[in-house]
Amino acid sequence: MNFLTLAAKNLLRRRGRTLLTVLGVAIAITVLFSLLSLNSGYQKELNKEVNSLGVHILAVPKGCPYEAASLVIHGGVIPKYLTATDLDNVRSIEGIELAVPMLMHQFIRKDNKTGQDVPHIVFGIKIDEERELKPWWTVEGRYFTDNETRVMLVGRGLADKENLTVGSKIPSGPFKDFAIVGILNRTGDQDDQFHFVPLTEAQRVFNKEGKITTIAVKVRDVSQISRISAEMERIPDIQVVTMTQIMGTIMNLAGSARSLLLTVIAIALIISAFGIINTLLMSVNERTREFGVMKAIGASGLDIGKMVLAETVFITFSGGVIGTIAAVVGSRVIEGFVRGMLPYSPRGTMVSLSPELIGFALVFSIALGIVCGIYPAFKSSRLTPMEAIRSGVE
Amino acid sequence: MSGIIVAENLCKVYRRGREEISALKNVDFHVDEGEFVSIIGPSGSGKTALLNVLGCLDTPTSGTLRLNGTETRGMKESELVRLRRQNIGFVFQQFYLMPTLTARENIELPLLFSRKTDNKKRIDEVLQMVGLSDRGDHLPEQLSGGEMQRVAIGRALINDPKIILADEPTGNLDSGTSGKIYELFRKLNDQGRTLVVVTHNLELARQAHKMYTLRDGRIAGCEEMDY
Ligand SMILES: Nc1ncnc2c1ncn2[C@@H]1O[C@H](COP(=O)(O)OP(=O)(O)OP(=O)(O)O)[C@@H](O)[C@H]1O
Ligand SMILES: [Mg+2]
Repeated sequence: MNFLTLAAKNLLRRRGRTLLTVLGVAIAITVLFSLLSLNSGYQKELNKEVNSLGVHILAVPKGCPYEAASLVIHGGVIPKYLTATDLDNVRSIEGIELAVPMLMHQFIRKDNKTGQDVPHIVFGIKIDEERELKPWWTVEGRYFTDNETRVMLVGRGLADKENLTVGSKIPSGPFKDFAIVGILNRTGDQDDQFHFVPLTEAQRVFNKEGKITTIAVKVRDVSQISRISAEMERIPDIQVVTMTQIMGTIMNLAGSARSLLLTVIAIALIISAFGIINTLLMSVNERTREFGVMKAIGASGLDIGKMVLAETVFITFSGGVIGTIAAVVGSRVIEGFVRGMLPYSPRGTMVSLSPELIGFALVFSIALGIVCGIYPAFKSSRLTPMEAIRSGVE
Repeated sequence: MSGIIVAENLCKVYRRGREEISALKNVDFHVDEGEFVSIIGPSGSGKTALLNVLGCLDTPTSGTLRLNGTETRGMKESELVRLRRQNIGFVFQQFYLMPTLTARENIELPLLFSRKTDNKKRIDEVLQMVGLSDRGDHLPEQLSGGEMQRVAIGRALINDPKIILADEPTGNLDSGTSGKIYELFRKLNDQGRTLVVVTHNLELARQAHKMYTLRDGRIAGCEEMDY
């Protein structure tokens, strides 16, 4: 027998109450754990998403809405344009490894089956430079060359959705009769959903000869990003967006939604903490005489306090274990719920279950027990044996 | 004056709101090692108050108490805890066993507090001494009153104290069972332990060496029995 088994036996005396308290803690821990795992998963996915562009700095036309940057990530129409001169100016800056022009454009095409107008995104690209920017690209079929006409690459996701195969032709829309020469193998990012054509073809189809929407810049040394972006800023037409800024913007938006959630969590935790303290004080008061007897048979105040604390930690730790398991099992459900609340969600799964986080949840539940148990433990340890034994006798 | 319990001029005043109640009034009390002492007296005469002060469960308002040669006045709580653990075993009228623990575990409990764990042989020995060798795994609710009091006595014995203090240990038991408990007390006394037992039962009180009578917070008489 030791203090832990003693505590466990006492808790089993009031099974119903113990169970309810444990459940209360478990719910609080589930919510806490889910939110934290979501938080770290969100940041990780966002990082991955931005890095997958292979780009450090984006140049977009000046006067573009700031959100243009996120349009570039997810696709959309940028209403202003840059020119070949801007591209040359950018290329002349020291320390740039690659400066790749792109023309991003949105177009509408009727869906074969449903007959509905569906918006699509197309990128006009220089194939060699693009591949240098995204060395992870692989293709089923082949890549096009820059001077081919009426050729197209599509992302795997898009191809599957629209039943496009290598060798088939686009049936309608501005790219009618373009031949699909290759399908990009899955990259896990937005490229899976996009169309790619040679830059000159995109410019021809949309009547934007010599115009580009974006210059994607890869620098040779990441530590030079701020100097290079400052130099690019001096080119009159160009607005510079670094990837850190994009992430920052998205994180800020997400941050306010998250702080709301965190407030909810904090309140849930405080309520459950008071619930635990209340339960403990109740059971301490009920057992005042018992504690007195324990003192009479040799327990010190510290022993009594330790026992009460052991009981609390027992409750919160069990709650922590149950809560963590529930969070792991229910992470999908919670992710779906939270996705609806965030302004921008990365595509990958956001809940990341790291061992560190599980450890943290468990340590947190123990800490919760110590915090909640300290007052009841202190209170019970201070009773003099006589007071305690007499209490409730008459 | 030597003696295992030496109390001089003990006073105990309880405050109940503005009212002050003197439960003990200048009590001198002396017990030699190996003595078996009874205390009798009407209800409210201060028997429990005296026993609690002697057992350091309560501090006297004034007066001195020496236990086994140690002066208790001015001791810190932690020192009192140690003194209680090493020298005194308590037995109560209502037994006060832990309902969640078996007879065995109840007897073991003081070992946990004095950090002497896993002393199976000692527990068996004590179970045997109180005549409960075959009841060790029963919960208190599965035991009779007499058996519960035996468990409580076993619990008081486990740390092998020199002094046993019992407050109306047979108050809740019938006369046959009470007699058995007293037989046990005499056996413990034969082994050299000092016993101070409060009782309302004059016949049982006479089984001790000495019988003190308390009245209104004072020692009103002392009778020596031929043991
Ligand atoms: N904690 C307390 N607060 C106030 N008064 C108390 C307290 N404890 C005891 N008393 C009073 O002190 C007096 C002595 O009480 P005590 O319990 O010692 O009597 P007793 O001789 O043990 O009586 P009984 O035979 O009924 O157990 C009584 O008048 C009682 O009311
Ligand atoms: Mg009494």
